[in-house]
Amino acid sequence: MHKTPFRQALLGATAVTAALALTACGGNVGGNAQASGEDFPTEPVTLTVGQAAGGSTDLIARAVAEGASEDLGVPMPVVNKPGANGALATQEVAGAAADGHDLVLLNASLITITPLAVGEEEAVSLDDVEVLKGLSQDDYVMVASKESGLKTVEDVKNASGTFSYGTTGVGTGSQLAQTILFEQAEITGTEVPFDSGSPALTAVLGNQVQVATIQLGEAKPQIDAGEVVPIVVFSEERNEFLPDVPTAVESGYDVPVAQYRAVAAPNGTPQEVKDRLVEAFDAALASEAYQQFNEQNLLTPREISGEEVEAEWTELAERYQQLVEEYDISLAE
Amino acid sequence: MDFLQPALDGFSVVLEPTNLLYCLLGVTIGMLIGVLPGLGPAATIAILLPLTYGVEPVTAIIMLAGIFYGAQYGGTITSVLLRLPGEASSVVTVFDGYMMAKQGRAGTALGIAAIGSFVGGTVAIIGLTFLAPLVAGFALDFGPPEYTALALLGILLVATISNGNKSKALIAACFGLLLATVGRDIFTGGERFTFGNVNLADGIDFVPVAMGLFGLGEILHNLEERHRAAKAPAKVSNVWPSGADLRQASGSIGRGSVLGFFLGILPGGGATISSMAAYAMEKKRAKRPERFGRGAVEGVAGPETANNAAATSSFIPLLTLGIPANATMALMFGALLIQGVTPGPQLVQQEPELFWGVVNSMYIGNILLLIMSIPLIGVFVRILRVRAAILGPITALITLLGAYTINNSMFDVTLVVLFGAIGYLMKKYGFEPGPLVLAFVLGSLLESNLRRSLLVFEGDVTGFFARPISATLLLLFLLVAALPLIQSALRRRRTRGTSPEGMPAEDSDRTSVKENA
Repeated sequence: MHKTPFRQALLGATAVTAALALTACGGNVGGNAQASGEDFPTEPVTLTVGQAAGGSTDLIARAVAEGASEDLGVPMPVVNKPGANGALATQEVAGAAADGHDLVLLNASLITITPLAVGEEEAVSLDDVEVLKGLSQDDYVMVASKESGLKTVEDVKNASGTFSYGTTGVGTGSQLAQTILFEQAEITGTEVPFDSGSPALTAVLGNQVQVATIQLGEAKPQIDAGEVVPIVVFSEERNEFLPDVPTAVESGYDVPVAQYRAVAAPNGTPQEVKDRLVEAFDAALASEAYQQFNEQNLLTPREISGEEVEAEWTELAERYQQLVEEYDISLAE
Repeated sequence: MDFLQPALDGFSVVLEPTNLLYCLLGVTIGMLIGVLPGLGPAATIAILLPLTYGVEPVTAIIMLAGIFYGAQYGGTITSVLLRLPGEASSVVTVFDGYMMAKQGRAGTALGIAAIGSFVGGTVAIIGLTFLAPLVAGFALDFGPPEYTALALLGILLVATISNGNKSKALIAACFGLLLATVGRDIFTGGERFTFGNVNLADGIDFVPVAMGLFGLGEILHNLEERHRAAKAPAKVSNVWPSGADLRQASGSIGRGSVLGFFLGILPGGGATISSMAAYAMEKKRAKRPERFGRGAVEGVAGPETANNAAATSSFIPLLTLGIPANATMALMFGALLIQGVTPGPQLVQQEPELFWGVVNSMYIGNILLLIMSIPLIGVFVRILRVRAAILGPITALITLLGAYTINNSMFDVTLVVLFGAIGYLMKKYGFEPGPLVLAFVLGSLLESNLRRSLLVFEGDVTGFFARPISATLLLLFLLVAALPLIQSALRRRRTRGTSPEGMPAEDSDRTSVKENA
């Protein structure tokens, strides 16, 4: 732990600032509220998650917060504010004080896919927040039931018109990936939306729908048990946890859909504060515990800078928009 | 007996100190609120729901389950000693229990009730242990069509079996169905009744609705009720019933266990109905029915056994199918969802520790209750002296704090207050909130699964009848819907009421309950 002296100094500094803040309390009301890098953080940093506790987004937030809080020397509680795919949480943090004490964990789909399906009041854009750090990539895999006998995209193509497929809901990557793939491969099937990944997987297990696209983490146990057959992964490159399953891209289809996650702060957060936060997140991502967490949850690291995240997600959003227009797909009716 | 292995493993989960502690906590709270008239298990679970957020799922459900069956024990005490039923499911116990207390046999009545409750509860757990894996074996055959049929049957049963005014129950259920339509249409993404409010985009959350209707609504309603000052309770002595009493009660305990078990499984059934049905059945079977209402041991043993058996067996549809049978189970459903566990046919296989941990905790909980119920009677009776003016605000505060902590949302708090007002008005005007909450839960299940099925069937309705399970369930639905007609036809034809078992008996049960009430 080569960082220990630094951390101790930091802890000391925090303690001093806290003491100062305490003594200075009453007279500080009209003062300059903007925190500078040195006396940040002065209080716990809240990481808000737009999904319910226990889901994969929540687990990622908790894993990151643990490491970052250790580096920052203040607690980093994870607060779940589920609603509207995460729009509720994001809007709330976007409106919070830009002092670095309120952060949000973003799902890329909220920015890139959801706006294709919902009204304007629910859509969130990257202009509302400043992305600090990219975290990881969570791949979608299309699985088929054993009874269906489907093993490849070709098989699905031959079954065109005779099967139904499950999605994890309207405006999700699962829906987008499948509809685009089926349009490009000229496959027709009946779309059956489910509430989330687990009921969609259950429906495939019971052959109520013949295929469904869900996140790898959810599908992996049943794939390993041989209960469902993996057909295609929607990432650009093969997933390291499913090396034998082809990607849609290498099969000749232009469907690069995955779930990405990143942390963001409200617009106008001071540069020093952002730097300090990024430093803390970098430390968290470098920890062994976090890397193990990624592996256990079949997440591929995608630890890029905030600027890169913003560029990448904006590009993805445009690309999805183009694809949807090109194939005349409407996610919502 | 391979399938028993996970069941036995469940005991190691229960015997963890934390789980034992929460089990004890649950049954103690259950007995406590069982003693307090007005505050029922549904309200208590609604209020305490957010507090379970921080503990392991299995621990949380063990505690909440303990509250539910613990309340069935507690309700008996005040029924017998004070002629004040603590729970709706102990109302019929008043008839003979209080008379026994007046005759100086309060101890015997409580002892018999405790033993009966223990037997009933245990029989139901054993039934649950063997039935659940059986149902779970069909897990993968349960697709959208089966859920559609099940939800349909559930809503019908809720409205027809529930106690109280049928048309009011139906109205409440319809309101619940309407509430279930709020939010984004999950098939088209279209907004329904959200009025542009992002908070409503995912629909109305079940938990604040339940906390408002059961928790806050109940508290408000209680404050309005004029409280009788607690009378000095009858003296309790000689808790262990004599051999003669036991012999006399054993038949009732046996019958109550079976009746309660089956009525508990039915959607819309549960502890209250089965206690009433058991009382009616005992009275009907008795050689000298005139003893009933004058301190007949069977009149205490039957209902008290049945309500506990039903409280336990109502876990079966929830844990094996994900369908809540009554309002309290709807809250358990909510509790599981908060914990990230979706109850359904796959629960036994996917979460064996949770499933068997909860089931087996009921054995332990029942033993704890049997041990505690007798010596603690005095303490519980004293709790009745806490004034509603003190109890009400405290519980209201806990409710609102809890509502906030689930989603950290002020909007949810507003919802609780709103539904608290609705719940209060409903109670005041004789509407039960139970059917509303159940229809609310089943409504979204029904809608999404019906639409999913029709997508799979490509719009062909006959598809429902081509699948064995959904066809059977739909036939059952038609049968239940036609039952009132069949019953009235039978009643006209019947000359002598000689059939104690089966459907016709249930009908006569209901009429005799009315006579008693």
